[in-house]
Amino acid sequence: MTTPVKVDPFTLEIVKDSLLAVGDEMFIALARTSMSPIIYEVLDYASGLTDAKGNLLTQGNGVTGFIGMLSFMVKETLRKYPGNKIKQGDVFIINDPYNGGGSHLSDVGLVMPIFHGGELVAFSANKAHWTEVGGKDPGSFTNDAVDIFQEGLQFPCIKLYDEGRVNDGIVEIIRSNVRFPDLSLGDMWAQVAALRTGDRRLNELCDKHSRQTILAAISYLLDHGEIISRQEIKKLPKGIFEAEDYIDTDGLGNGPFKIKVKVTITDDDFICDFRGSHPQVPGPMNCSYTGLVSAVRVIFLAMTNPDQDVNDGVFRPLQVIVDRKSIMSAERPVPVSNYFETLLGSLDIVWQALAPHLPNRLAAGQHLSVCAVTLSGNHQDTDEPFLIVEPSVGGWGGADGQDGASGQFCIADGETYNVPVEVAETRYGVLLDEYSLRQDGNGAGAGQYIGGKGVVRSYRALSDNQAVTVTFGRNKYYPWGMKKGHLGSPNEFYIHKANGEVDGPYGVYPRYKLQTNDVVRLMTGTGGGYGDPLSRPAEQVAKDVKNGYFTIEEAKEYFNVEVDSQTFDYTELPRRTS
Amino acid sequence: MRVATDIGGTFTDLVYVDENGHIGIEKTNTTPPNFEKGVLDVIKKAQVDTKKLSMFIHGTTVIINALTERKGAKTGLITTKGFRDILEIARGNRPDLFNIRYKKPTPFVERYLRIEVDERLNYKGEVLSPLERRDVEACVEHFKKEGVEAIAVSYLHSYVNPSHEQKTVEIIKELWPEVHVTASSDITKEWREYERTNTAVLNAYVQPIATKYIDKLDNQLRESIEIDQSYIMQSNGGTTKFENAKAAPINMVESGPVAGIFGAAVLGELIGEKNIIAFDIGGTTAKCSLIENGEVKVSTDYYIEKDNRNAGYPIKAPVVDIVEIGNGGGSIAWIDNAGSLKVGPHSAGARPGPVAYGLGGTEPTTTDANLLTGRLSPKNFDYDVNMNNIKEAIQNKIGNPFGISAEEAALGIIRIANSNMLNALKLISIRKGHNPQDFTLLAFGGGGSMHAPALALELGVRKVVVPIASPVFSAWGMLMTDLRHDYIQTYIKRLNDLSLIEMDAKWEVIENSALNHYKDEGMAAENVEFHRFADMRYLGQEHTVKVPVPNGKWSETDKHTIIQNFHTLHEKNYTFKLEDSPTEIVNVHVTAYGKVPKPTIGKITRTGTVADSKKENRDIYYEQKGWVNTPVYDREKLPSNEVIHGPAVVEEKAAVTVIYENQQLYLDEYGNIIIEMEGK
Repeated sequence: MTTPVKVDPFTLEIVKDSLLAVGDEMFIALARTSMSPIIYEVLDYASGLTDAKGNLLTQGNGVTGFIGMLSFMVKETLRKYPGNKIKQGDVFIINDPYNGGGSHLSDVGLVMPIFHGGELVAFSANKAHWTEVGGKDPGSFTNDAVDIFQEGLQFPCIKLYDEGRVNDGIVEIIRSNVRFPDLSLGDMWAQVAALRTGDRRLNELCDKHSRQTILAAISYLLDHGEIISRQEIKKLPKGIFEAEDYIDTDGLGNGPFKIKVKVTITDDDFICDFRGSHPQVPGPMNCSYTGLVSAVRVIFLAMTNPDQDVNDGVFRPLQVIVDRKSIMSAERPVPVSNYFETLLGSLDIVWQALAPHLPNRLAAGQHLSVCAVTLSGNHQDTDEPFLIVEPSVGGWGGADGQDGASGQFCIADGETYNVPVEVAETRYGVLLDEYSLRQDGNGAGAGQYIGGKGVVRSYRALSDNQAVTVTFGRNKYYPWGMKKGHLGSPNEFYIHKANGEVDGPYGVYPRYKLQTNDVVRLMTGTGGGYGDPLSRPAEQVAKDVKNGYFTIEEAKEYFNVEVDSQTFDYTELPRRTS
Repeated sequence: MRVATDIGGTFTDLVYVDENGHIGIEKTNTTPPNFEKGVLDVIKKAQVDTKKLSMFIHGTTVIINALTERKGAKTGLITTKGFRDILEIARGNRPDLFNIRYKKPTPFVERYLRIEVDERLNYKGEVLSPLERRDVEACVEHFKKEGVEAIAVSYLHSYVNPSHEQKTVEIIKELWPEVHVTASSDITKEWREYERTNTAVLNAYVQPIATKYIDKLDNQLRESIEIDQSYIMQSNGGTTKFENAKAAPINMVESGPVAGIFGAAVLGELIGEKNIIAFDIGGTTAKCSLIENGEVKVSTDYYIEKDNRNAGYPIKAPVVDIVEIGNGGGSIAWIDNAGSLKVGPHSAGARPGPVAYGLGGTEPTTTDANLLTGRLSPKNFDYDVNMNNIKEAIQNKIGNPFGISAEEAALGIIRIANSNMLNALKLISIRKGHNPQDFTLLAFGGGGSMHAPALALELGVRKVVVPIASPVFSAWGMLMTDLRHDYIQTYIKRLNDLSLIEMDAKWEVIENSALNHYKDEGMAAENVEFHRFADMRYLGQEHTVKVPVPNGKWSETDKHTIIQNFHTLHEKNYTFKLEDSPTEIVNVHVTAYGKVPKPTIGKITRTGTVADSKKENRDIYYEQKGWVNTPVYDREKLPSNEVIHGPAVVEEKAAVTVIYENQQLYLDEYGNIIIEMEGK
């Protein structure tokens, strides 16, 4: 057993920085070697280090929604393999949503213990969205699964490597159960390589500074996070804050489902109580408890200090209370493919509850949906099968002092990149008709500070028998405005068929069939406005019209500014307040 | 006589070399906004013989300044129908993950100046909708009305087929000869429409300013000086003629800093060091770059204003791979809310500067810490340094919160600064699969020699070189450059199906166009040297590895070797290889050097004794050792090849070298300081 050693503060700081650098390196290594656009463009993965007990030390995130999930994976590993059952060279594979996984089966986690001098000092872990894990539909996550068994392969925290030897049986099972085995296995090897990078670097640090110093630096890091976090909580408004909203649908046609939260903030605690929210649902919109914790962590960071280094120390003051088997604390075997929509809904109600009290940190509502699109078919030139799995950008809400950003991924995504049109048209059997900012024409997002614009992305099928699955949340309940700012617009899509028929709008739809020259027109929501539109400077409104963000009619009706269609000169109308 | 001038934020540097290989240096103040004045000033001040200037080479920050200060021209953009918002949507990414008030980078062209035309190519470059002349005419009319000064044209898939862009430019030039026009495919032939469009836009945005600047500089130089050849430094580590620089000014975005990296490669060749980590510490930042086997690494993964909070703006121009961090002599030391000591990225700048300058600075900086620990002496400064003020600042701001002495606090600042720099050095070396022991650390800039020996110990490099002219080494590097153009083109081919005939033809087209280009610049074909690379990946991956590939016609054996080399490089970079997976070329890359005759660097044999070069003994506060009475030497008087054992200090004009107990140094035959571990 190690005894605590006293290490000078600068050495601790230097080692702490080195640990963070290891986290960054592991993160980059995975993106650079992955085979799947969902990982290297969307960065739908996370990687990091935990201490020997599973407390998160550093996490590189592509998407915010994974924050916290790594530690749950490690803790599940420790629970399942107690005592000395974890050996050097082991790698565990886990995607069980209800126990330690936290999201859906597509996100496959790997956990590797790091030993130094025979002592377990830390864990290296990552979790990445595989393009395919089998299940009933291509791309695995689906809109109309009725249970977990339709959603793909389950890895219940088993040894992929046993003391350095790979378990070929597991590899073969994966190879024969997924539709694009080269992609999935390629990503798995990339994940293993990234874990080993963490192992190697941490051992180097232990060699250089001594194991005792590293362990001291680890507890210093966690304490440092907690201190900053508690300082930030002291700055928050104190009291009880409540909000409720709805999840549109479960994908099977049921819904909407009410969700609610009561947030209690004291000098020392930040408690989110979701009791009274809707029970778990038949379709795959359920989120597990781990996913809910991640949701709360995301919004907690947004409200406290978005700049800080993130580790489990930061989250020590957080408490999450929820009924068992609710839509945000689902239990086996309900389907969870689209858990992220409920994760988003849960964080959004905490956000809504606090938004009026924290204008320096929070904005009006955003399109708030991953807006996931899965499109499969065969390439028109090569006849090779292709599969698009991607999130979509939309509009963010206006905020005190700034307009909302247009065309951004939602808050649960992050350092996520859209797929370039040129790359998409080369790889996939589609032509894009447009990728442009949405013009609502109905004052959506109007405000003193306007909501950012949603986006229109239109895929034209270039071969027959393509199928598109769309999962757009916030289709029935629009992005919310603040302080007299207007609502935004819904996420929705239409099908423009080759024969001229138009079908839609829809929010969630499984496997819509497309034939050659059918176009799926995906439209994401414009964010909510902040403040009274009549307070937006008229000169700015005229400029908005000139730039095509609002029409002349909208300027007149919602902003009370008359704009000339040729010169863009403007007149303020009488109803306008000064 | 050859002269190189480098405009920096504070100083404009000059280095010259005469026919006998004698090198001289000079510095004056930079003179914004009329930067050319500083250039003329420094030439005058250096008293170079202006009658027979065989070569004038210039590095400038005009481009990067115009971008960061948003001083460029009013720019219009013409795009494919349906895609004018590409510039505003960008990639949708958000490095500042948890910030609900994230501010997206504002496009350099407002929406009303982004006009769509009804043309369309598919991914193979086939025309789906032809370009209509009347659409371009309408754009020109609109832009004229709006007072646009520069136009960028960027169409989908123009990297495969640039004809629509070229035709558009032709029509614009015909209708409006005086406007500046940039076709995206003239600047970059890589795929990804946002990156290419943004690059074209930024090129257009700086083009009027660049043209004006270059013309003014050219005219004023020619009024007083006779110059055979004048060149401008580009970001790829090579130079180009003034005329070319005006067409693609975005290629000068890192004009100055890369010259030092390139200089490091040249100096390395001179002294027989092929593997080098070039390390440049200035007032506000430290920059490093890895040179392997004499080759400076160039890529097009360059951004401005990108950091871990901001998405920034991509520029697909070839730029030397540099990692830059906010740690220099002027970086401020501070304590965060939870009581951790941090150094940088905020800098005290030139004004008020460190406490040492006595110009009102109150925040302790790395320079102040170096003074308090004796690494620097007040005598190194032009200012009257008040040591009491420095001690007080460090004691109050850093020492007291930790309950330690000012000296310990100062050493803490130096250690944290070194740790920051060490992480940057690791990023380009260990983390890319290189063993630092195979490399020499070449340190320059005002602070390079001060920190490099300590970093060498940490990193495990075997040798440190503090080169001649180290404080103005970037300008020195410019003297040694060749003309250089990089041709990078997206060309997606699986290696297994690759037709060698087609591949040879591809290289030939690129190399012929390079030869034609050089011919226009007056460079004979026999002086043009090609280096070929292929950006390769495993099928399905996105990120590529740059693989050097052979010149001339390829054989099947060559193809096999290339694949093997790719596996090896992939494993080196990313720890694994997939030998069963098919490999794919994404980009072909030709670097075409136009070789110019270089000055010969003269050898120096300085006799005398070590004792004669000694200035004084000074107390220096070392890690673990505490105060050590340390000898201080004058670089200008150091005898050649005489070994000095650490701990020791060597001072020169504008730089100081500090070595440790187990290190030794000597002056080599060119006047470089060579530092090695003792007993080696």
